[in-house]
Amino acid sequence: MSNTLQTVQRMVAEQFDLKQDELTPEATLESQGLDSLAVIEFMFHIEDEFKIKLTNERLEHIKTLQDVVDIIDRASAEQHGKA
Amino acid sequence: MTRRVVITGLGIVSPLGIGSTFFFGNLMAGKSGIRRLQQEFVEKLDIKIGANVENFDPTAYFSKIKLTGMERFSQFALVAAEEAVRDAQLQLDETELPRAGVYMGTGMGGAGTLEEGYIEVFLRDNPRIKPFSVLLAMNNAAASHLSLTYRLQGPNVTFSTACASSAIAIGEAYRQIRHGYTDVMLAGGSEAMLTFGAMKAWEALRTLAPEDPSDPGASCKPFSKNRNGLVLGEGAAVLVLEDADRALKRGAKIYAEIAGYDCASDASHITKPDAAGQTRAIQNALRFAGMQPEEIGYINAHGTATLAGDIEETKAIKAAFGEHAHRLAVSSTKSMHGHLMGATGAVEFMAAVLALQHQALPPTINLHDPDPECDLDYVPNTGRRGVELNAVMSNSFAFGGSNAVLIARRYNP
Repeated sequence: MSNTLQTVQRMVAEQFDLKQDELTPEATLESQGLDSLAVIEFMFHIEDEFKIKLTNERLEHIKTLQDVVDIIDRASAEQHGKA
Repeated sequence: MTRRVVITGLGIVSPLGIGSTFFFGNLMAGKSGIRRLQQEFVEKLDIKIGANVENFDPTAYFSKIKLTGMERFSQFALVAAEEAVRDAQLQLDETELPRAGVYMGTGMGGAGTLEEGYIEVFLRDNPRIKPFSVLLAMNNAAASHLSLTYRLQGPNVTFSTACASSAIAIGEAYRQIRHGYTDVMLAGGSEAMLTFGAMKAWEALRTLAPEDPSDPGASCKPFSKNRNGLVLGEGAAVLVLEDADRALKRGAKIYAEIAGYDCASDASHITKPDAAGQTRAIQNALRFAGMQPEEIGYINAHGTATLAGDIEETKAIKAAFGEHAHRLAVSSTKSMHGHLMGATGAVEFMAAVLALQHQALPPTINLHDPDPECDLDYVPNTGRRGVELNAVMSNSFAFGGSNAVLIARRYNP
């Protein structure tokens, strides 16, 4: 399991009071009760945690936890030169 | 077409407790919700007292996901509305939802969110602020959350007329039903501005009462010779208003009928209260209600405990009621719950409605040395039970010169 995934799972669980073991990579954010606004709010904290900048265009494609992880890894690679 | 409008549900989050029973019990007991505030920023304030809602734990009411998008003033409003809706046993089917609406009042809406954003941008030089900032801070957030939660599809409007905001919200909601535009309205107000910046701004205006050295709870002294200003408070109150026929048909418990309302403006000064405008509002409300002044037994005064305000209001009551001014009872419950600004009209109208229901008069506390210019029966210090009330009035006079007056009367079908 990647470090990114673990961090994201922990953050979602903490911020929205959800059970960490139900937050599988395939779980859709919607199924966890996060609407599009909640996702935007969450990505704000992601930017802080991973010291990256996310664009709106990327946010539109987020459906699952794995999508979040992929976006973080890609942005980290581009912006910090590492995954 | 005009219809009669009744109150079928009450809900409140106040410095004197959450729930209308606690609220009115504490009012009658003469308890004070004014205290030394505990937040860190208080050290940087000259005046460190306020009437806050103690022990309000939002996570007891809302999930973390919900709380992400909900400011303190919206949280207060929803908790108050939930009590009111349950109290009214209100159920709306699909055909009724489009004829149900929400009118709320607030002065500064999400003041806390705005300040947090400013701190990030101006102080910490942070290039970005929370994405939810706009949705949290906007003045109509509380009303909108009510509309969303109860799926109210009629009008959803927020009134921001300073200290008269929620009295006007209730009065205008009453008119919506009275004139047949809607059948059911949630109406009230919400405020959460005990924040560093807002308190500093009020401090600068020099209208806040300094802390009473012997007892912080006794700092607000309406109609007293040694009164010296208001104490800021926070909270929310929501009432369920309903077409009387609808309420009767479903066998709802009816607290009272809203008999009259008016909003009249001073048009003279932005802050200085004016007895002429206040008198006009009182007289109009009585006239619209088709009532004689003698029918009013109790007035919940605006009574902010400012030097000019209490004298002007006393003059206005005398001008509007003549001889009867000395027979009716007047009290300022702000002495106990503080000045809740955009929520205060709703909180005080609720106090008046509960006075009518319980046939009991809540006192003006801290009134040991009356101002000779304030010579009415202000129910000093001790509440009275077993009185006979047929109709009550609530006054709300705002910065900007808006004067709102609401009248509630015992309901006789």
